[in-house]
This record gives sequence, C-alpha cells and structure tokens, in this order.
Amino acid sequence: MNTLSDGKTPARRTSRFARRKWINRVALTLSFIAMIFGVFWLMWILWETILLGFAGLSFSLFTQSTPPPNDAGGLANALFGSFMMVTLATFIGAPIGVLSGIYLAEYHPRGWLAVTVRFVNDLLLSAPSIVIGLFVYAVIVIRFRQFSGWAGAVALSLIVIPVVIRTTENMLALIPSSLREAAYALGAPKWKVIIHVTLNAARAGVITGILLAVARISGETAPLLFTALNNQFWTSDLSGPTANLPVTIFQFAMSPYENWQQLAWAGVFLITLAVLGLNILARLLSRRK
Amino acid sequence: MILPNIMLDTQTNAPPPVKMSVCNLDFYYGKFHALKNINLDIPANRVTAFIGPSGCGKSTLLRAFNRMYELYPDQRATGEILLDGENLLTSKQDVALIRARIGMVFQKPTPFPMSIFDNIAFGVKLFENLSQIDLEERVEWALKKAALWDEIKDKLSQSGASLSGGQQQRLCIARCIAIRPELLLLDEPCSALDPISTARIEELIAELKKDYTVVIVTHNMQQAARVSDHTAYMYLGDLVEFGETEQMFFKPNRRETEDYITGRFG
Amino acid sequence: MSEKHLSSQFDSDLNGVSSQLMEMGGLVETQIQRAMQSLANFSTTLADEVVHAEDRVDAMEVTIDRALSSIVARRQPAARDLRLLLAISKITTNLERAGDEAQKIARKVKSIVESGEARDMPIGDLRVAADLASSLIRRALDAFARLDVAVAVSIVKEDDLIDREFKGFTRKLITYMMEDPRTISDSLDLLFIAKAVERIGDHAKNIAEYVIYITWGADVRHRPLAEIEAALRENQAEDLS
Repeated sequence: MNTLSDGKTPARRTSRFARRKWINRVALTLSFIAMIFGVFWLMWILWETILLGFAGLSFSLFTQSTPPPNDAGGLANALFGSFMMVTLATFIGAPIGVLSGIYLAEYHPRGWLAVTVRFVNDLLLSAPSIVIGLFVYAVIVIRFRQFSGWAGAVALSLIVIPVVIRTTENMLALIPSSLREAAYALGAPKWKVIIHVTLNAARAGVITGILLAVARISGETAPLLFTALNNQFWTSDLSGPTANLPVTIFQFAMSPYENWQQLAWAGVFLITLAVLGLNILARLLSRRK
Repeated sequence: MILPNIMLDTQTNAPPPVKMSVCNLDFYYGKFHALKNINLDIPANRVTAFIGPSGCGKSTLLRAFNRMYELYPDQRATGEILLDGENLLTSKQDVALIRARIGMVFQKPTPFPMSIFDNIAFGVKLFENLSQIDLEERVEWALKKAALWDEIKDKLSQSGASLSGGQQQRLCIARCIAIRPELLLLDEPCSALDPISTARIEELIAELKKDYTVVIVTHNMQQAARVSDHTAYMYLGDLVEFGETEQMFFKPNRRETEDYITGRFG
Repeated sequence: MSEKHLSSQFDSDLNGVSSQLMEMGGLVETQIQRAMQSLANFSTTLADEVVHAEDRVDAMEVTIDRALSSIVARRQPAARDLRLLLAISKITTNLERAGDEAQKIARKVKSIVESGEARDMPIGDLRVAADLASSLIRRALDAFARLDVAVAVSIVKEDDLIDREFKGFTRKLITYMMEDPRTISDSLDLLFIAKAVERIGDHAKNIAEYVIYITWGADVRHRPLAEIEAALRENQAEDLS
C-alpha cells in the first residue's frame, strides 16, 4: 500500500494542473499581445522608411550636394560630413574608452578612482545627448567663435566613450580569473597578460561595443545641432560648419518643399540601413565566440 | 597510537633529495589565518599529493609556491618556501622568473584565445629568443611530452578552445613544460574531466615525474593513492600528516587522517 | 568499528560481513566441541552430524567471500577498512580450515568406534587440549569483535601451550605403542586427532594475528613472540601517558 496517496490525490492533482495550464495560457496571450504591440510600431516605422525612402533613392543622391528648394540634388555633402565626423569621433572615443575600460577591469577595480570613474561614466551614459551638445557648444564653439566639424566630432566622441568603457569593462570582467592566473603563472608581465590573453579573449565583445557606439552616434542629431551645425556645400574642411545627415534630415523634413522632404526620407532610409548593418555585424561578431 | 618502528615493515630507503622545503609557513586572507605553521619537504622527482576537505588550505599552499597570491592585495604569506635552498618569499628575483621555474595547471583547462601553437609559444617567447625553427621544435617537444602531439599535429593553427576538455588540459600541461620548469603544480587538474581523460592525465603525471617534481592537489583520494609517492593530509589550515602514500592509505599514523581516508569524516 | 562512515550503507555492509564472520566462527566452534564430544561418547551419530554440518561452514565461507568482493568493488576501502576486509578474508579461510579439522576428527572418531577397541585409550589429555583449542577460537573471535590486541597477543602465547601439549601427548602415545603394539592402529588414529587439535590451535593463533594486523597495521606473522609482547607493552604505555 502506498501510504502517500489517499485516493483523492490524483483528482486534486488534475484540478491543480488544469488551473496552472489556464494561467499559463493567459500569461502567454498577454505577452504575445505586448510583443505584437512593440513589433507593430517598429514594422510601421520600417515600412514607412522603406516606402518613402526607397522612392528617393537615386545615383545623384551620392554624387550631388544638398540643393536649394525645388531643385535637383543629393546628399553627398551630408553623407561625407557625417562619415568624417563619425569616423573621427570613433577614433577619438574608442581608444580612450577601451583603455579606461582596461583600467577599470584590470588595474584597480575597487580603487577610489575606479569607483568614481564608474559612477561618472554611468551618468555620462544616461545623459541626454542634447546636454552633451550644449556642453561642447559652450566649451568649444563659443571659445573659438565658430561652428565646426571638429566640435561635432568631439561631441560625438563624448557619446562613444561611456558606451565603450562600459562594454569593455564588462567584457573583461567576464574573462575567468583562472585564465589571467594561467598567464601570470607562466611568468608573463601584466601588460602582456592583458594584451595577449584577456583583451584578446574579450576582443569580439569589445569590438561589438564599439560598433554599437558607432551605430548610436550615426543617428544623433542633438549634439550636432549646436556644434557642426550644417552646411549646404561640399567641404572636407572640418574647421567650419560641416554638413551632416541627421541635421540635414531635421531641416529638410520640417521644410515645406517637396524635394527636400523627399531627400530627408532618403537620408532616413540610409541611416536606418547603416544602423541595421552595424547591428547585424555586431551580432555576428559576438556570436562567433 | 604510535607503532614501534620494528613493527612496521616499510623498508626505509635513503630519503630522496628535497626539491622544495616549506618552513613555518603562515598564510592570511586579510585577517583570516588560512595556513598555520606549515612545515614539509617536497622530494625531488616524486609526485606529492595534497588531500583534505574543501577549505583545508591545500590550494592555498599550492598558490603560495609560485606566489600567485600576490595578484590579490589582501593575501600575504610569512615564513619560508625554499626552492633548492633559496627562499622564494623574500627572493630578490623577479616573480616572473620564479614562476618560470614553477609551472602551474589549473582546475579548469585554460587555453589562451589563440592557436594551439601560439598557446605554447607564448610562454616560451617570454623568456627565450628562439628562431622560428627552434620554436617549432620546442612546441613539438612539449606536445610530445604531454602526449598530445599525435592527436593534434595536423591542427596546430586551430584555436586552443577547439580541443576537447582533456586535450585542453594536456595543452595546458604542455604549455607549462615548454618553458622547462623544475616544479609542476597541478591544482585539481582532473576535476573537470571524464574518467578516460583523467586516466590519460594520470598516466602523464607518472611519466612527468622522471624529469620534474610534481605537486598535485586533488579532491579525489583514490587519485592521490594512484598517482602520488607522498601524501599530505591537511585540515583547517593545518598539515595533519605527511608521509609515504602507501603508508598513508594503509596505516596512517594519525587517527584524523585515517578517519578522512576511510570516509569517516564529518 | 567505533565511528561511523559518511555512508551508512558502507557501515551496514561492514557490520553485516563482520557478523557473518562471527556466525561462522560460532558454527566452527560448535563443530569442534561436538567432534570432541563424539570422541568422548564414542557416538557415530554425533560424528556423522559433524561431518554433514561441514557443508554449512563451507557455504558460509563462500557467502562471506562474495560479500567481501562486493564491498571492495563498490567502496575501494582504504586504511583500517582495507585492513579489516583483508583480515576478514584471511580469518574466514582459517575458520574454514579449522572446520575441516573438526570434520577430520569426526571421521577418525567414526573409524575408531567402528574398530571398537579404543575404550581404554588415554583421551583425557586430548580433551583438555581440544577444549583449549576451541576456547582459543572463541576468544580470537571475541578479540576480533572488540579489536582487543591484548587478548590477541595472549592467544598467540597460549597456542604455544597447545603445541607443548601435543608434543607431550605424542610422547605418551609412543610409549603406549611400544608397550602394546596392538594399540598401534588406534594410537595412530588418536595421533591424527591430536594433530587436528594442534592445527585448530594454529588457526586460532592466525586469527589472533589478523586482529593485531587490523589494529596495528603490522604483520606479526613469523615474528618472535617476545617482540610482539614488547610492542604491546610499549603501546599500552603510550595509551596511558
């Protein structure tokens, strides 16, 4: 005789199970609705972007500069300016971010400096980008009495740095300490351990972080409004106002002119494409581990 | 109970030369006194096993031998650890050079994120400036010593992480051997491996003791009984008993040791 | 064994095989006593019973050996458990041999009774020796149950008594045979029985030596008694201090 069951147990079990199944179904339905809600807007945005942007795509987009109202033209100057500033910001921000991340993870992770830096970095990470734009405006643009591409690049790099610091530190912290110890146990000096072993092991993650930062700044408008401003003409000189895609989109989309609006949509489409591409690349990199 | 010597049938050969000698070693994690006045002599070209329950300090002792604890600011050791008569704790020698003389293999395999070849070459290049040919020769020699060469000679450029767990652990042993240490420290080298890989590593340990002095920490008492010549039983930071493995597993002198070895611990 | 293993199953395995050994020891002891009784009473029925009961002793030996190999295979015993199991294996062998000797005695008793002429033979001394031998077996098993080295050492010592008794008895039989050659065949039978009793004493001594082996981990077989006694004294002094 099984003393554990008194005959009623199976019935009780069945009723409990039925209840659980019902709750499960409700929860599943609710989360499905929430998912649909989110994806719906995303899809709509993408659809509109593709629909309106695709129509504006043409070869002249990449060869001609922004036109006056009601005239034919392209976005070449804005694309080039954006490219210049994003590249420059990445080259300024990524090394600083990676090195700071290394300091935080490998040198004195619990020192007062690290704690402070981490706190400030978190603030910077969540600061609205318009604040950063205004800061660079005050510090650089006003001082030099000149809107410039340089100032734009600096503003963008201030957005890159915290993202890269955070991802680098996190990625390095994920490396098991036994790997580090194994390298030290061979008699390797600290810098070799970091470069050849820990950073190497975290490489995919660190690069992913940089790519995500690039994706983020390539669509930022606010920091550029006060710094690089905009420029209607092709220029490779970053010391004056520099054309760039986000601000151009902002201006053209608000304008009453149809050809400008058309160009704005095309620009939106290009940015979306670039961000999507960067994200996919980052995904691929982090998966290949 | 201490047996009169005439009753023990162990033939007392001349004691083997001492490779490493630990004298009055104390170890602290912050305020915690983790090793209490440890004294023992590790014989050359023998396998010495440290056994004991978790937290008894056996790994701590091992990590004191190559001053690994220095990576962590709140850990410190006092006393003497003599390697061929030279006190490692106060040595003026660079710690990197000391570590080059004392190889260490860890619980989990730790292949570096690079090719199999570079995994081994990395350590060699730290201390020696070899030509490519000499380097290749050294890598092959180390892999052969670690009984891994035949399995991986055609995939030296693959990532070290692509190997199986047992192969990775032998790669780590090869990496240690490649810089020609005098002493090999193995910190539970088989705890993450299946029985067959474990048997391979044990076979390898028996082979290695011809050229090296081996110290192994293990949770597996049978493993200590199988591979070691001398066994140290530690408990709560004390060295309870140290003796020849055969005697330790047949008739240890101390009751505490016997209780642990027979599974009466608790 | 005083303290428990982490595994209570291991404990009960060890206890089980130990109590099987004690049971086998009890059986062998009865066999010896009954064999000697059959001699005293010139009873062939009793002797027959002894001969038949030997099968049970053999069966117990097989059971214990199987239990031992199962424990060794499952538990990989070490130190004192290992010594205990090795000793039990040897002790069963010795018990089984002692049982064989009892059976031999019973067989001889049958042939003596069947020849019908031995009533006035001097079996008194033989009975004393046989009682001593069977009590040695019992005390050796007691020493095993309590792991009492002092008792074990005293058994090793007392076995010498039986040996001396055997020599005296042999001399006595020789004089009998010289006086009256007609007693030669019965005397030889008795000599055979006396030899069996002496053997039983030897087995008791072996068992006692394995008790020492379990506790000290030292093999005292073929060691002079004086050395063993000296070691015992030293140990007792150690325990007192």
